[in-house]
Amino acid sequence: MFNFKRAIAPSALSLMMMASAAVAAPAKVAGPGFDPGCFAPWNSEIGYFQWEKREGPHKIAIVNGFVGNTWRIQMIQTAKAYASQPDIAAQIEEFKVVSTGTDVAAQLGAIEDFINQGYDAIVTIAVSPEGFDRVIRLADRNDVVLVPFDNVLDTDKVMQVNKDQLEMGRMYGRWLLEQFGDKSEGKILEVRGLPGNSVDRDRNIGFHEVMDASGGNWDIVEVVGNWDDGTAQKVTADAIAVHSQFDGVVVQGGTTGAVRAMLDAGHPMVPLAGEAENGFRKILAEQADNGLKAISIGQSPGMVSVAMKAALAALDGQVMPQLISIPIPSTRYDELEAGKNYWPDLTDNFFTVNEFPACDVNITAREIMTKDAENLE
Amino acid sequence: MNDLRVRLSQNAALLTAIVVFILFYVFYNMNHPRGFSVAVLIQNSNEVFTLAMVAMAQTVPVLMGGLDLSVGAIMTLVNTIASHLLNGSPMQIAFGMVVSLAAGAACGFVNGCIVVYGRIQPIIATLATGAIFLGLALFLRPSPGGNVDDDLSWAATNDLYEIAATYGFAQNGEAGWFQPISWIPVPLLLLVLVAVLVWLPFARSVTGRTVYAVGSGEGAAYMSGLSIDRAKIAAFTLGGFFAGIGGLYLTLQTSSGNADIPQAGAYTLNSIAAVVIGGTSLLGGVGTAIGSIFGALILRTISFNFRIFEIDPLMQPLFEGTVLLAAVSLGAFRVLRVKNTLELFR
Repeated sequence: MFNFKRAIAPSALSLMMMASAAVAAPAKVAGPGFDPGCFAPWNSEIGYFQWEKREGPHKIAIVNGFVGNTWRIQMIQTAKAYASQPDIAAQIEEFKVVSTGTDVAAQLGAIEDFINQGYDAIVTIAVSPEGFDRVIRLADRNDVVLVPFDNVLDTDKVMQVNKDQLEMGRMYGRWLLEQFGDKSEGKILEVRGLPGNSVDRDRNIGFHEVMDASGGNWDIVEVVGNWDDGTAQKVTADAIAVHSQFDGVVVQGGTTGAVRAMLDAGHPMVPLAGEAENGFRKILAEQADNGLKAISIGQSPGMVSVAMKAALAALDGQVMPQLISIPIPSTRYDELEAGKNYWPDLTDNFFTVNEFPACDVNITAREIMTKDAENLE
Repeated sequence: MNDLRVRLSQNAALLTAIVVFILFYVFYNMNHPRGFSVAVLIQNSNEVFTLAMVAMAQTVPVLMGGLDLSVGAIMTLVNTIASHLLNGSPMQIAFGMVVSLAAGAACGFVNGCIVVYGRIQPIIATLATGAIFLGLALFLRPSPGGNVDDDLSWAATNDLYEIAATYGFAQNGEAGWFQPISWIPVPLLLLVLVAVLVWLPFARSVTGRTVYAVGSGEGAAYMSGLSIDRAKIAAFTLGGFFAGIGGLYLTLQTSSGNADIPQAGAYTLNSIAAVVIGGTSLLGGVGTAIGSIFGALILRTISFNFRIFEIDPLMQPLFEGTVLLAAVSLGAFRVLRVKNTLELFR
């Protein structure tokens, strides 16, 4: 053990001496990257990484933080379903998932432990956007591919996977404007997410950007729904009671609750942009004929499978963008099809978007829910 | 011989905690895919240090018969303060460390004064001050970030060899005399130093003994002429100081500050669990901060095993809770040996 330690110490020393010069494991290379359809670079200024190709099968670990809402649980189930698909299972020797709670020391510890255990890639949802410098250093030193996704880090030293939240906000705005046609004024309800979170901030900025640019006279009423059905339902009901009628509605999350509040209050069905909850899509399928012209856009827990696929591609020696932008899947009210993009017999909490055709990631709702059944036994 | 037996029986809970920890830790290392190594030891002590400090912080008020719900908040506040100060010249960094630790102790001092002079129950007083400390932390760091000296944070989270190599003493860590100790992880060393240089002298001082006496029976302590107010304030101040060390270390570990409210809550709850596992009675008067260190070690070691064994991720909290309950129950075995149940009520 001491020999191993001494063998790596000199490289650490040189790393210390030249704080800025990177002795990091992935080589910084020029684009274009591998499979740009799936692993789209965030923008044209993004750098590219390349790790040395190594022979599979690989050891992959997922270090989740908080567990306890439907999204996270579905994310874990999706990861397991994806890992057990035959062509992926063939590339994975060992697959482990741990949840460390909201404790950053525990999450850093888990990542470092997997590095020490000799894992090849570690996929994580960071508890905090800062504080991962040490494990990034260690991962580079030990040639481990670290892939934060969803809640990403404020650094350009690791390969990360996310969706463009600004763009998602712009999509809300464009959809409403498209539905409004030549209308140029009106009152819009915006049900926001968790305050202080970068996702909430970016979607809000994107939405306002599009609405402001349209030149119309829009009165946007903002309420905080915490991405939660119960909260969204309550604040929507309150907003309807105060403002009596809106011309359009945007819901970041908890859309099922927000639409229920509209139905309960007898609010007319108006153009709406919301998340991709199964419950929302169920209502949407029933109410589309009554004027609920809505688009359902999802931050999918299925992103984990794209992050895993990116890790495997990196281990295969492919050129990867530093920040990967996942396409944002959306479904319009007139595209709904039972059993295909919503499931009348599954729970309201289920997040419907799980397939990424561009990445050849095809996990069906059934596969995820079967995993669920196994866990309950 | 007889003296040894008395000492053993007085420290039975502490010894149980140590034995349980050793069992868990040996089990973890035997099953580790790469076996025991210095890298694993460094990682483990890094992960444990902050929780161990917060658990020690919790122990002092608990010995006095109170709970401190603000330990996680003090840790978080010090974390945000340190994230502003730990950079620049060595003098500036040293100044930053002193200020951070002083801030932790000051928070504890405020708690103590409110409890003593405000005559408010510790659990309520610290619930309120904890919210204030978190508010200050949010004010100092509305969003996570900070600028911490790279060399320092690297050196403090590794072994002694890296410190020597970073700061260039003992021939960059290659000196012959340095070899036997060069593998020791810095956090492990710090943990031992804090326990030996801060806790043990305190526990043996008159003030420290008064803390125990207040926990056993405040009335009796008063009648014995002990300075109760001073002991209470000292207990909370020391708690704040320990939590401050934890917050300072968290800053070095993450090279940033984050006013993370759920995390502060998690640390407070885990600190209480660690105190109980470590053999300190929540009724006060019995226990030691050394036990709490082992309590924290046990808590962490349980979750270490999730990374090695195939346990369904959604079953992990259930599993952790079950093991915890079993560990805490070990302390209840003495009930079986009690001849007269009235003894349990002291």
